[in-house]
Amino acid sequence: MSEPRSRLVRRVTTRGAAVVTATILWLGACAGEGEAGREADEPAQFALLTSGPVSDAGWYAGGYEGLLLLRDSIGAQVSHQQTRTPAEFDEAFRAYGNSGYDIVFAHGFEYQDAAIRAGDLFPDMYVVVSSGGRVADNVVPVTFTLEQASYLAGIAAAGMTRTGLVGMVGGVAIPPALGTFRAFEAGVASVRPDVRVLETFIGSWDDVSAAKEAAVAQLRQGADVLVHNTDAASFGVFQAVREATTAGDSAWVIGMNGNQNDVAPEVTLGSADLRLPAAFLEVAELWQAGELGGRPVYSGMEKGTVDYVPNPAVLDRYPPELLARIDEARRTILSGALNVPRVPYVEDEIGVQDGTGG
Amino acid sequence: MKGWKRKRGQAMLERRLPVGVLRWVGATGLAAGALGLTLLAAGVVLALGGYSPLRAGTALVSGALGSPDAFLSVTLVRAVPLVLTGLAVSLAFRAGVWNIGAEGQLYAGALLGAAVGLVSPGLPAPLHLPVLLLAAGLGGALWAAVPALLKTKLGVGEVVTTLVLNFVALNLTSWAVRGPLQENRGIFPQSDQVAEAARLAPLWEGTRLHWGFPVAVAVAVLLWWVLKYTPVGFRLRAVGAAPNAARVAGRIRVKPLTLGTFLVSGMVAGLAGGVEVAGVTYALYEGLSPGHGYTAIAVALLARLNPLGVIISGTLFGGLEGGAGAMQRDVGIPAAWVRVIQAFVILSALAIERWVRARPHSVFVHPPSAPGGAP
Amino acid sequence: MSRTRSASRTEPEAELIELRDVHQRFGAVAALRGAGLSLRVGEVHALLGENGAGKSTLLRVLAGLQAPDRGELSVRGRVVHLHTPRDAWDEGIGLVHQHFTLVPRLTVLENLALGVRGPSGGWRGGMRLPLEHVAQRAREVAAATGLAIRPNEVVERLSVGDRQRVEILKVLLREPRVVALDEPTAVLAPAEIERLLALLRQLAASGRTVLIVAHKLDEVLSVADRVTVLRAGRTVLEAERASVNARLLADAMLGQEAREAYDNAPVLGRGSVVGGNHRVQARPGHTECIACLERVEVWPAGEAAAAEDPGAEISLDVHRGEIVGVAGVEGNGQRELALVLSGRRAPVRGRAVLPPDPAFIPQDRSREALARDFDLAENFALALHRQGPWRHGPLLRWSALRTTSEKLLTRYRVLAEGTHALARTLSGGNQQRVVIARELEAGHDLLVAENPTRGLDLAASAFVHGELARLREGGGIGIVLLSTDLDEVLTLADRVFVMVRGRLLEVPAAERTRSGVGELMLSASAAADEGVEKEAWPGDA
Repeated sequence: MSEPRSRLVRRVTTRGAAVVTATILWLGACAGEGEAGREADEPAQFALLTSGPVSDAGWYAGGYEGLLLLRDSIGAQVSHQQTRTPAEFDEAFRAYGNSGYDIVFAHGFEYQDAAIRAGDLFPDMYVVVSSGGRVADNVVPVTFTLEQASYLAGIAAAGMTRTGLVGMVGGVAIPPALGTFRAFEAGVASVRPDVRVLETFIGSWDDVSAAKEAAVAQLRQGADVLVHNTDAASFGVFQAVREATTAGDSAWVIGMNGNQNDVAPEVTLGSADLRLPAAFLEVAELWQAGELGGRPVYSGMEKGTVDYVPNPAVLDRYPPELLARIDEARRTILSGALNVPRVPYVEDEIGVQDGTGG
Repeated sequence: MKGWKRKRGQAMLERRLPVGVLRWVGATGLAAGALGLTLLAAGVVLALGGYSPLRAGTALVSGALGSPDAFLSVTLVRAVPLVLTGLAVSLAFRAGVWNIGAEGQLYAGALLGAAVGLVSPGLPAPLHLPVLLLAAGLGGALWAAVPALLKTKLGVGEVVTTLVLNFVALNLTSWAVRGPLQENRGIFPQSDQVAEAARLAPLWEGTRLHWGFPVAVAVAVLLWWVLKYTPVGFRLRAVGAAPNAARVAGRIRVKPLTLGTFLVSGMVAGLAGGVEVAGVTYALYEGLSPGHGYTAIAVALLARLNPLGVIISGTLFGGLEGGAGAMQRDVGIPAAWVRVIQAFVILSALAIERWVRARPHSVFVHPPSAPGGAP
Repeated sequence: MSRTRSASRTEPEAELIELRDVHQRFGAVAALRGAGLSLRVGEVHALLGENGAGKSTLLRVLAGLQAPDRGELSVRGRVVHLHTPRDAWDEGIGLVHQHFTLVPRLTVLENLALGVRGPSGGWRGGMRLPLEHVAQRAREVAAATGLAIRPNEVVERLSVGDRQRVEILKVLLREPRVVALDEPTAVLAPAEIERLLALLRQLAASGRTVLIVAHKLDEVLSVADRVTVLRAGRTVLEAERASVNARLLADAMLGQEAREAYDNAPVLGRGSVVGGNHRVQARPGHTECIACLERVEVWPAGEAAAAEDPGAEISLDVHRGEIVGVAGVEGNGQRELALVLSGRRAPVRGRAVLPPDPAFIPQDRSREALARDFDLAENFALALHRQGPWRHGPLLRWSALRTTSEKLLTRYRVLAEGTHALARTLSGGNQQRVVIARELEAGHDLLVAENPTRGLDLAASAFVHGELARLREGGGIGIVLLSTDLDEVLTLADRVFVMVRGRLLEVPAAERTRSGVGELMLSASAAADEGVEKEAWPGDA
C-alpha cells in the first residue's frame, strides 16, 4: 500500500513542480507586459498604506474612508496595503511606484524615512505622509491640526467637571498626541484655571486593557471627565467610564481622532472629530491644481477636517452658556485670532516653531 | 489465501536509482508538490470567502516572481532574514537544542548592530560594516547565552526561556528607540539612520537586493559544510540524533557542544537582525521583524533542517510573503485574509511534508543525516 | 517447505489460534515467507529462532501491530483480520512488549490504571483514573497467579524484573486468552528468570495460553509444553516438548551445518554450564597491567546502598591477554564500574590509570552504542572520527570512513545493505557485530564489555563469545566482561568477581560454580527482595 502511494506522491510532486514552474513562467511573461506607463486620459491612481487593520473604526479606518472618497469623488483607481515592518514599507512604495501610481498616502509617521527613499526613486510619484515630519519635493507631510478640536474639547470638559479634576489617557507620547493634550489643557484653563489635568500614556495604540486600567486609575483619583488619544485602545477608556457610571459615579468621556459619540452614547460628552476624508480630498485637490509638494500640508478646522462635535444624545446636559462658549472659541480660531498650542515636529516648523496652527 | 495488504517494488525502486539522487528528487519534488497542493486548497478557501482565486493566485505569483525586479527586490529581499533565522533554528535543532528564540536574538542583533552603525563620526569606513555585522552576531549570541547557560548549567528547558526572552528583546528595543538610540530630534520612536559606510550596498543597482543575500547563502553553505565535513559538525549531529550514543560511544562532551551550538545559533539569528538594519531599514525600529524568528521554525522544518534546503524554503516563504502583499494591492483582499491564507499554506506545507515522510519504506524515509546524501 | 508436524496435530484438541502461511517483506528483506503457528488452550508455547528468523515479526502480526502481505489467522477456527492492536485485544491476544511501555514517574497502580476502563464506563465517570477498580482487579489476578507487586511504588524505582511483572500484570488485567511475551528473559538475572518461568507455568495452569519468544534453549526446555521453531522466515519445526531435545532444536534453528560449526566454537555459551571453570590462573606471559584501579569508588558516598558498607573501594588490575569477569545482580554498581573502566566517567574517588582509547561495548546497544538514525558509516565514525586515518587535517575523510566501514562490515559478516543502511534497520545481532567491529577498530589495549550478549540469539551470542575468546588468545588486549549472565562469566573469564553494593569481591577458584557464585550474588540482594510482598494493595485494610 505504501509503495503505490509513495510512487503516486513522487509522480504528483514531480508533475506539480512542472506545472508550478510553467505557471510561474507564463505569469511572469504576462506581468511584464502590463507595466507600461499610464496614458493621460486614464484615471488617477491613488494608494493607501496603513500599519494596522482598516477595520479599527479609528485612525486606519479613517484613512481607508478617505481613499474610498477619492475613488468615488474623483474617480481614481485605488489600492490599499497593510504593511507591518519597515522592510515592507520600501517594498510597497516600490510596487506602487513601478505601477505608476500618482499619490501614495502613507498613513502614519512611521513611513517617513521610507517615503523619502521612495520619493528619490520615483520622482513622478507623490508620497503623502500622515502626521509625517520630513519634507521633499514630492514627499508631503500632512498635519491634522486636531489641536483645534482638542482645545474646544478642553472647554467642554472644564464646563462639565464637578470635581475640578479631568484626565487625559494617551497612547504613545509622540508629538501629535502630545499636541492635542497641550491644546486640551489650554482649553480647560481658558474656562477654569483652577481645574487640574491628569496625564497618562500607556505606551501602546492598541492595548485596550492598559487603556482601561489607566482610565480607572484616573477616575479613582476623582477625575470625572476623561479625554483620550489612544486610537484602537480607546475602547478601554470608554468601558472604564461606562462602568464607573453604572456604579453610580457621574463621569464623562470625550472621543478623539474621529466621531466616537456612538461608542458609548450615554457617557460620551462629545468628540474631537478628525475627518480624514476631508484632508485626503484637500490633498487630492492640491495635486490636481499642481500645488502639491515641497512643503507640508496643514489640514484643520478651516477645511472641515477637524471639529469638536458635542454628542447629540446628551446635548440637553450641556449648560447653554457652555455651548455658546464653545461656538465663540471656534469662531475665534477660524478668524485666526487664536493660535492653539501645538507640539511641532515637521521639519519646516521645528526651526519656524509656531505660526501655522490657525 | 488473501493477505491483509500488499506491497512490493519499493525495494526495486530503491535499487534502480542511487539513494542520494532519490533523496534529492524527493526533497525538491516534495517542496514543489506541497506548494502546489496547498495553493490549490488555499484557492478553495478564497473562493469560499468571495474572492477570485485566479486573480489572487496571479497576484501572488506575479508579486513574488512576476518580473526580475519582483523576484530580486521582493522575494529575495524578504528571504534574507528568513534564511538566516531559518539557519539559526536548523543548526540548533540539529543539535537537539530547541531554540525558539531566534526572534529575540534577531532583535538583540539589530539593537547592537544599529548601535554600532550609529557611531558617528564613524569607524574607518571599510571597517564600519564588518564591525556592525560582528556586533549584530555578538548581540544574538549574548541573547542566546542566557538560555544556553541556564540549560547547560542548571538544566532549565530552553523552550520556555528562549520564548520569554523574545518578549524581553522586543521591549528592550522599544525602550532603546525611545531612549539611548532615539533619533537626535527626539520625536519619533526610531533611531537615526546608520552611517553610509555601515550599510550593505545593493547587489544590483536599481534593485533592493543587497549584499545580505550572498551573506546568507554563504552562511548556509558554511554551516552545511561544517555539519558534513568537520568533526565538530559531526559531533553536533550525533548529539542531536542520539545524545546517549554520542556521550558513550562517541565520547563527546555534550554540554560544551550544546553551549557552543546555542551561541552560534544565536549569532546567526543576530546576524539576521544586523543585516536587516544594514541592508533594508538603515535604522532601528520597534517593529523591525514581523516574527521572522517564528516563521524561521517553519522554514527550518520544511527544509528538514538542511542548511542548503533552508535557502530554498526561506526563498519560498519570502516569495509567499511578498506575493501576499501583491494580493492586497492588486486584488483588494484584506490583510487579515491574506494572513490566514499564508498561515494555511505554511501549515499545509509542513503537514504534507511530515505526512509523506512518515510513510514507511518511502524514498523520503531516510532522515537527512547521512553524509553521503545531504547532511 | 520442510515442516515437521508432531503427532498431536491429528488429535481432536481444538486449536485456539492458528496462523498459516504468513508472508511479510520489509523493503528488500523477506522477514516471513511461510511462517505458521498454532496455539492451544492452557499451554506454554515457545517460539524459537535465530535473530532475524522472524520471531518478532510473527509476534507483531499476532498482536495486530503488523498486517502481513499474505497469510491467514484464525481464532477457534474462525478467520479474522487484525489491523490494529485493538483488533487483537478483541480476540483476547495480549502482548507483553520487549521494551517496556510503563510511565516511569507514575506508580505501579497508576500505570495499571492507564488505559483501563472503569466500572462506570471509563473517563466519563468523573474524569479520574479508576484506581479502586483496578486495585481490586489486580489483587484478584495477583492472588490467582502469585504475581506480587508493590502497588504504590514509583515505577522508575523498580528493578527490571519488577517492571516486567508490572507489564505482565497490566496485560493480565485485560483478561486475555493468550499472553505473548517477546524475549522476556533477555533482561533478567538468573533468579528473576526462574521466578518468571514459574509465573508463566502458573498462568498456563490457570487456563491461559502463554506464547514465549526465547532464545535460550534450557529455558525453553524447562518451561514449554510445545515448541515452534522459525528459520529464515519459515516454520521448520512444531513439536511437543517431550519429543525434542536441545540438539534437535539447535539443528532446527541453525540448520545442521551451522549447528556443528557452532559446537566447535571455542566457547559454549548456550545454556547451563555444569562444572566450574578450568582456567583458574591468569595465564603466564601476559601479565602487563594495562588498566589499574586504585581504591576507586564508583558510587557517590550518599548513594552507596548499604550504610554498613561505607567506602566501597575497588582495586583492580587488568592485564593483557586475560578476561576479567564481573558478575552480579543488576544495580550493584557494574554500570558505574564499566563507565569508569571505559573512561566514560571519572571515579568518585581513587585513581584510575587507563589506556588512551579503551574499547567499550555498552549494554544498551540501541541507545548508547549506536545512533539509531545514523547510517552505519556514521556509526563507525562515532568512535573513529577522532583518529588519524579518518581525518584529513581538521576535516573528516568520509571516503576513508566508508572504506573502513565496508571492510569491517565484510570482516565481521554484518548483514546490512551497505554502509548507507541506518543502524535501526539491523537486527540486534548485527547491531552488536557493528559495535564490536567499531570498538575493536577504534580501541586498543582494553575492552570493556557490558552484557555483550543481552538480547542476542544463540548464533550471535556465540559470535560475541568467540570474538572475546579470540581476542584473549591474541594477547594484545585486556578484557573486562561485566555480565548478569552468570554462565557467560563463568565460561569465559580467567578471573571472576562478583559485584555487590559497589564492592568487587573476587570469587575463589573453589567456589567458581554457578551455585557458588549465585549464592554470593543473591545473598546481597535477598534483603532488598524481602520487602516486595509486604506492602498492601489499597483497600486491603
